[in-house]
Amino acid sequence: MSAEKLATLEDAAALVRDGDTVAIQNMATQAAPMALVRELIRQERKELGVVCLVGGIPVDWLAAAGAMNRLIGAAVSMEQFGLCQRYRKAVEAGVIRVEELSETALNARLGAGARNLPFLPTRGLIGTDLIDVNDNLVMLDDPFGGPSVVACKALVPDVALVHAHKADRFGNIGYEPTALWPDLGIMPKAATTVIVTVEEIVDSEVLRADPDRTVLPGFMVDAVVEAPFGAHPTSFYPRYGYDTAMHLEWIGATRDDEAVAGFMEKYVTGPADHAAYLEAAGGSERQTALETWEQT
Amino acid sequence: MSDWQNSPPAEDWTIDELMIARLAACFTDGDQACNGMASFVPVSAFWLARLTHAPDLVWLAGAVGLEPRPDRVPASTLEAPLWRDSIMYVEQYGDFWTIALNGRWLTKFCVGSAQLDRFGNGNNSIIGTDYHAPRVRLPGTAGLGDMGSIGKALYYWNPNHNPRSLVEQVDFISCAGYLGGGSERADAGLEGGPELVITNLCVMDFHPETRHMQVASLHPGVTFEQVQEATGFELPSPEGQLPTTTVPTVEQVRLIREVIDPDNMRRREFGG
Repeated sequence: MSAEKLATLEDAAALVRDGDTVAIQNMATQAAPMALVRELIRQERKELGVVCLVGGIPVDWLAAAGAMNRLIGAAVSMEQFGLCQRYRKAVEAGVIRVEELSETALNARLGAGARNLPFLPTRGLIGTDLIDVNDNLVMLDDPFGGPSVVACKALVPDVALVHAHKADRFGNIGYEPTALWPDLGIMPKAATTVIVTVEEIVDSEVLRADPDRTVLPGFMVDAVVEAPFGAHPTSFYPRYGYDTAMHLEWIGATRDDEAVAGFMEKYVTGPADHAAYLEAAGGSERQTALETWEQT
Repeated sequence: MSDWQNSPPAEDWTIDELMIARLAACFTDGDQACNGMASFVPVSAFWLARLTHAPDLVWLAGAVGLEPRPDRVPASTLEAPLWRDSIMYVEQYGDFWTIALNGRWLTKFCVGSAQLDRFGNGNNSIIGTDYHAPRVRLPGTAGLGDMGSIGKALYYWNPNHNPRSLVEQVDFISCAGYLGGGSERADAGLEGGPELVITNLCVMDFHPETRHMQVASLHPGVTFEQVQEATGFELPSPEGQLPTTTVPTVEQVRLIREVIDPDNMRRREFGG
């Protein structure tokens, strides 16, 4: 018999401690575990280090809330909605320190962490200035006589936050057909603690019908939380598209501190729980519109 | 298949269409191409090439979806509307970077860069002198920090040719070009490198020995003096008459406007 992993959003987020390095699944406007990110802000977590491939609105909200002081990642951008202005401001003010990695270097750091290796090499980044400013990257002679490579030091995040389509109560995580970003391929496998939100909790039999779609085994997962529309306002294919209106509302708000505080109160710190957030974000009418993947 | 071969030069082309057609000409059957975020010009160019001279050009949309079938260019070049109808979803950690690093595939890569210098080094990291206290924090290198160093031929596109984006020396190298010029890139053990720079004013390439950027062709109506004025470093004086960039054909313009990008997403890159 496997251990049950079901948890509330509140209890799951409480597994994250101040100062932790937290890997967050995200690709610009896609697939971020936003319900968990909002809960971390509500619980006033501080001094987090955020690891992401391409961070979007979750990074900007954590920066706006003063919840993070470092970032390890390849890029931070909301693509068509532009740069994350609150993150950018905090970096320029020296409040957030950035370890910028190329995609292969981030993959190598996490891959080494996942496999208990001291480092993995990459051929990316050679010739750039990114190696000199980063103690976790060192040029290394090939012991077999070939060209030098970049040794990328193992990275073991304290926690990985992931959003998925479904899970059973034992924490086996099932994914529907969608783009396979590295967040699932490597981030949770490198992290000490793994927290997953899902669109729906299902019976194990549902996962057994498509075992090739089970992407994380329950023994790797510490807590699983049912959070429908848990990636909103980012997209979660095939279930729902990104929320253009909310991204634009956020971009509008980032121009001044008062508007940012108002936005955070309205959507992040104000609503008592995830259901209240979804109501504040337009409720079922809005959700139905996003499910069509039309421009909304 | 449209009769693209016998199509005459268009008269009502716009600059975005010229850049797309010029970039499309760089990709042929047998190539594989991929695009990153906010890449309307490359996406339109790959699609145009596939509809005309390169039907077998392989396209990895958003670096995740193989052979996608979008019905038009969507608002995001990374989101599902571009890649959902692919024949394969390519897993990023294991598959995409294996394909890119192997050397046999994806030998050409299109780069958009906030700063680009005279030796083809790109910068999407920071503006300023101190990496940890930047004047401006840019989005970050993403895949460019890899693509510049792993033997790819790099095709830069820049819809807003100005002295702030084309600079003498980048503030920070986040995509390796020819480094300090001459043989520096080769001496660092790097193959490939910058091939072309396609802007809204001209096409530029790199001198085979000095590796300094130079004008290869001027777009119709543009003078060398205008290009020099808009460039943050001294361009080598052209020897004799510079060629004029080939304008898109009537059929290419029709395909871009009616089939590929009827919503004019490509215009979003031309903000000025």
